[in-house]
Amino acid sequence: MSVPRGAVHAKWIVGKVIGTKMQKTAKVRVTRLVLDPYLLKFFNKRKTYFAHDPLQQCVVGDIVLLKALPERRSKHVKHELAEIVFKVGNVIDPITGRPCAGTRFLENLSDSENLTEADTTYLSEKLQELKVCSTDK
Amino acid sequence: MPMKGRFPIRRTLQYLSQGDVIFKSSVKVMTVNYNSAGELSEGARKFVFFNIPQIQYKNPWVQIMLFRNMTPSPFLRFYLDNGEQVLVDVEDKSNKEITEHIKKILGKSKETLEKEEREREKLSHPATFGPKKYHLRECMCEVEGQVPCPAFVPLPKEMRGKYKAAMKNEA
Repeated sequence: MSVPRGAVHAKWIVGKVIGTKMQKTAKVRVTRLVLDPYLLKFFNKRKTYFAHDPLQQCVVGDIVLLKALPERRSKHVKHELAEIVFKVGNVIDPITGRPCAGTRFLENLSDSENLTEADTTYLSEKLQELKVCSTDK
Repeated sequence: MPMKGRFPIRRTLQYLSQGDVIFKSSVKVMTVNYNSAGELSEGARKFVFFNIPQIQYKNPWVQIMLFRNMTPSPFLRFYLDNGEQVLVDVEDKSNKEITEHIKKILGKSKETLEKEEREREKLSHPATFGPKKYHLRECMCEVEGQVPCPAFVPLPKEMRGKYKAAMKNEA
């Protein structure tokens, strides 16, 4: 009975976090492609795993890499969080290293130099309106 | 009556078994990030459409995850057993180039495959008889040139136990 690591078959898994309501535990949904025997097509089959997350740094929607623990931590928790692959809302493109969202890079958008004159006048008008409202009260 | 779908040949066992990428046992997870639009992602899209079923069929224990439109650049990422991660940039590559590349870096070599094939052959002995799962034939009657199965062709009198016993009693 010498199982050096993993009381469980899956040693490394990648999944999406679906729940963080438990203390220091993340509920992770893992999908694998399973062949339908009649259609001969692959479909995603889901399974939920519980992972130990000591710093509670996972948010619902993160893509995480889980590592199997050498022995079970509790009845259901057999994995721990190895790394967060993609943080939700803060995806970093691994090839260039820049933050991105969808098919665009995000770095350029927050430059105030790119705002045109029309934009700055519009924004300053809006700010003026806000000031007026606050003095009325 | 043709098959349903765009390229239904992808759903045939012959096509699936033609995949030649068999990963080394240290590869556990494969992640593919690609985009639905854009010239650069074209090869990755073709790879996902045509080659992923072949790879998953040949490697049933590797978890394959597909992510669409998460990053501007398409890439593949492999997570190995020792914690290592292999990042493969597939921007502007055709699907054939991608398969060749991963076969070269993470696929089992031809010699390993042949060695495994020979190991498997050694386990089963072709000259034994038994259940179809473990042996080639179940009974000698299946071999051409041998006495046929008495269920289909009755044995000649001289071979039947009834006749032999009667002859013995007579004598």
